[in-house]
Amino acid sequence: MTSDVGKMNETKSRSELSDIFYHLVRDPLGLVGLIIVGLIVFSAIFAPWIVPYDPIAMNIPDRMQGPSLSHLAGTDQLGRDTFSRVIMGGRVALQVAIPTIGGAITIGLILGMIAGYGPKWLDNVIVLLFDTVRSFPTVMFALAVVALVGPSLNTVILVIMVTSIPTYGRVVRTLTQSLRNSEFIEAERSLGASVFRIMRVHILPNVIGPIAVLAAMDIPTVIGLEAGLSFLGMGVKPPTPSWGSLLNDGYNLIRNTPWLIIAGGIPLILTTLGFTFLGEALRDVVDPKLRGRGK
Amino acid sequence: MSTPTLDIRNLSVSYSTPRGELKALRNVSIQIPNKKIVGIVGESGCGKSTLISAISKLMATNATVKSGEIEFHNSDILKISNQQMSELLGTDISLVFQDPMQTHNPVLSIGRQMVDIQFRDRLSKVEKYNRASEMLSLVGIPDAEERLKQYPFEFSGGMRQRIAIAMALMAKPSLLIADEPTTALDATLEVQIIKRLRELQDEIGCSILFISHHLGVIAELCDEVVVMYAGEVVESGSVRDVFHSPAHPYTKALLECDPGHIKEKTRNLPTIPGEIPDLVNLSTGCVFAERCSKKHDACEERPQFSSLNTEHFVACHLTGQENAQ
Amino acid sequence: MSALLEIDDVRVSFSLRSGLLSSAGSIDAVSGVSLKIEEGQTYGIVGESGSGKSTLARAITGLHHASEGSIRYRGQELKGLPEKEFRKLRKEIVMMFQDPIGSLSPRLSIGSLITEPFKIQGMKNTDLNAEAKRLLAMVGLPAEFAGRYPYQISGGQARRVGVARALALNPKLLIADEPTAGLDVSIQGEMLNLLAKLQDKLGLAIMIITHNLNVVRHITDKVGIMYLGKLVEEGNTDNVFSKPQHPYTLALLAANPEPDPDAQLMRIELAGEPPSLLNRPKGCEFHTRCPFVQSSCRHEIPKWNNSGSVSAYRCSFPEIWENADHG
Repeated sequence: MTSDVGKMNETKSRSELSDIFYHLVRDPLGLVGLIIVGLIVFSAIFAPWIVPYDPIAMNIPDRMQGPSLSHLAGTDQLGRDTFSRVIMGGRVALQVAIPTIGGAITIGLILGMIAGYGPKWLDNVIVLLFDTVRSFPTVMFALAVVALVGPSLNTVILVIMVTSIPTYGRVVRTLTQSLRNSEFIEAERSLGASVFRIMRVHILPNVIGPIAVLAAMDIPTVIGLEAGLSFLGMGVKPPTPSWGSLLNDGYNLIRNTPWLIIAGGIPLILTTLGFTFLGEALRDVVDPKLRGRGK
Repeated sequence: MSTPTLDIRNLSVSYSTPRGELKALRNVSIQIPNKKIVGIVGESGCGKSTLISAISKLMATNATVKSGEIEFHNSDILKISNQQMSELLGTDISLVFQDPMQTHNPVLSIGRQMVDIQFRDRLSKVEKYNRASEMLSLVGIPDAEERLKQYPFEFSGGMRQRIAIAMALMAKPSLLIADEPTTALDATLEVQIIKRLRELQDEIGCSILFISHHLGVIAELCDEVVVMYAGEVVESGSVRDVFHSPAHPYTKALLECDPGHIKEKTRNLPTIPGEIPDLVNLSTGCVFAERCSKKHDACEERPQFSSLNTEHFVACHLTGQENAQ
Repeated sequence: MSALLEIDDVRVSFSLRSGLLSSAGSIDAVSGVSLKIEEGQTYGIVGESGSGKSTLARAITGLHHASEGSIRYRGQELKGLPEKEFRKLRKEIVMMFQDPIGSLSPRLSIGSLITEPFKIQGMKNTDLNAEAKRLLAMVGLPAEFAGRYPYQISGGQARRVGVARALALNPKLLIADEPTAGLDVSIQGEMLNLLAKLQDKLGLAIMIITHNLNVVRHITDKVGIMYLGKLVEEGNTDNVFSKPQHPYTLALLAANPEPDPDAQLMRIELAGEPPSLLNRPKGCEFHTRCPFVQSSCRHEIPKWNNSGSVSAYRCSFPEIWENADHG
């Protein structure tokens, strides 16, 4: 029998987001993740205003200097301020990550819910689609497309988005399938709710939680992918700074100055750690809620 | 008067919650005499789950024992180490839980599980298997030997509960604690299992602590009954005394609400209006006062236990006045 | 004048998962049930696990498809009705589910949940807040509950929310699936009283699905006992309780004894467990568990007998305990 003791004396409910936030800051890893991610996002948004120098302004006389008070991370082979390039690179990273993952989530959600809730034949078709896309090795696929179409930011975004769709789609599909037979869905069906209503109002909100967690953990992967492609020269075109292109430059100049590699590598590491911590903490917070057990 | 198998004295357990200290059990005293079946009746929030967890030392991390002793075989369970407790559990004290679907490990065969729990015995594997199959037959599962090879999912809920009872009694414990073992089962299955339990208890000679909210089953199976409300014992005595002459207003009301009890067809069924009190902010008076139809001024103070006869005790001012102690 | 709900020889089958090429057959969760419910009447369906009672309820509301038979609401055939047409009837035929909290969409507030029927039926001009308040008051919950979420309320309160949602559009037939399961005895009465009160107020017919005979006794006019997908006894509640004809009915009555250690009870114990639907017993399907089984029961299928003044039943030896010598 349900124990009603704890619930009988409930006070007003906190809004859900503030509830998540509340729990997130109490988890040490979550707090660290939140701070790092906050810094990265902040610096990405306000990049044009906080960079000490124009990231693409060349200054040959000052090339390849080590870190100093005027150039916090030194300069690269064209005299550009590395620190400014790092900050701007963060912007590029997020400019790639957000539309990519945003697009992948949107399409993955739609296809996944249809697959999970719709008729079996449609499910089979969609799963076949997912499996086909997933069977392409991402990097190869990206290289192939770039070779055909030429390197650019948009190409990178499109390629990574398409290859990420099945990941989200499959998770959404499984969640939808498990929700499909729950009693509250049956109840809504008995009220006459249409399939679209059920998917939009009753399944979607319950599926978003795990997806958000996945997304948070995926952002560093996508950023890494972009960096990798840019490192290979298949990503953003110079002089646009990207952490990957910084790594490329650094790689070529490693005998002259190690600082470029460090400057390109550290933000990647930090981003990965930050988002991963955040994702893990988010998962812990979101999960018990989904089971309906409250805080 | 021989020593009772289990003697709980003045047990108080609280949980620490964000809202404060939740006093789940307050000064609970219960005795389980040798070879007797004692039933605990109570509704949500009465503390019976907390009580079981305290006896078996499987309490939640935010629970603390505030006072009291639980005496079993001359030692206080609350004071022994977890190691010593784990030696008791499964040998001298056995537990059967409410949900038969969750009791067994789904990936091991029943036979394997029944053999595994005999790990303390120095018997050969064949002997352990035979014992297991004997126990299964005893609880009324036909073709026991064949069924030992099967997995839990191949058994229905009723059968799983029987298996749970078989496993619990295999070690011939002194005390079997059954926490609502038949609540999840159909009534006709319940009848079978209760009968079987009674027979086994007779044979093995153990004591049983039986928790249920099904009054009919308690009346059928138990020798004595303890009525709990919101963390306290409000009445206790032999089943005959308590059910025929309930003294506490809660017991009376509960019996009146029991659908098996209501003889006349009515569209206005009796209920006990209100809710259990907030266990974090308890008043000092009688815990049942706000829902009691007989509430009066004296109820501002906590009632003491008074006895109606050698076995029948009740915590109510009304009885206290009649039988001044 | 047709009855509000007429069910004729309804069968609900589920096909079983099979290999790529072969089918493993099907099971009949409901295998030929007929009954009638009049306007404003309360009908109780009693059965244990595997009896098919919940499946029957879901077939009536179109959540499962009846494979054979007819389900008529006010003369209109429901079986096979396309959802578009059924939707109009969903204002009148509603269901309350067994799991009180599980049947509430977890991310919606209570207020949104109970006004779902209005949104689904496209009633755009309703003042949803006012309706939510009215419905909460109708089931005795405070208005501020509208802002709470399912995980913040108790089981009993969630049950009431289920009632409020079901009755939002003033239906004519409410199907309540185990409305008192899991409730403390002291508040079971509250739920049943609430249903009775609302029934009187709204002129509602109620079909109660339960395994608890005692609950049914007080609030129903007629009762039907189900076993393995068929009705084994059916009649006016008073008759069925005072003069049960089928041994299973007797066993159910005996399994819910009053709390009296000295009560003189008919000790009926059913043998074994309900058989699997894959392997229905021959002859009378109850014979494997019947304490009064006779040899003919093992191959003769008893007919449905609904003549006479007692309830209708399906047994070759009705009231056998009155005549036979039993221990």
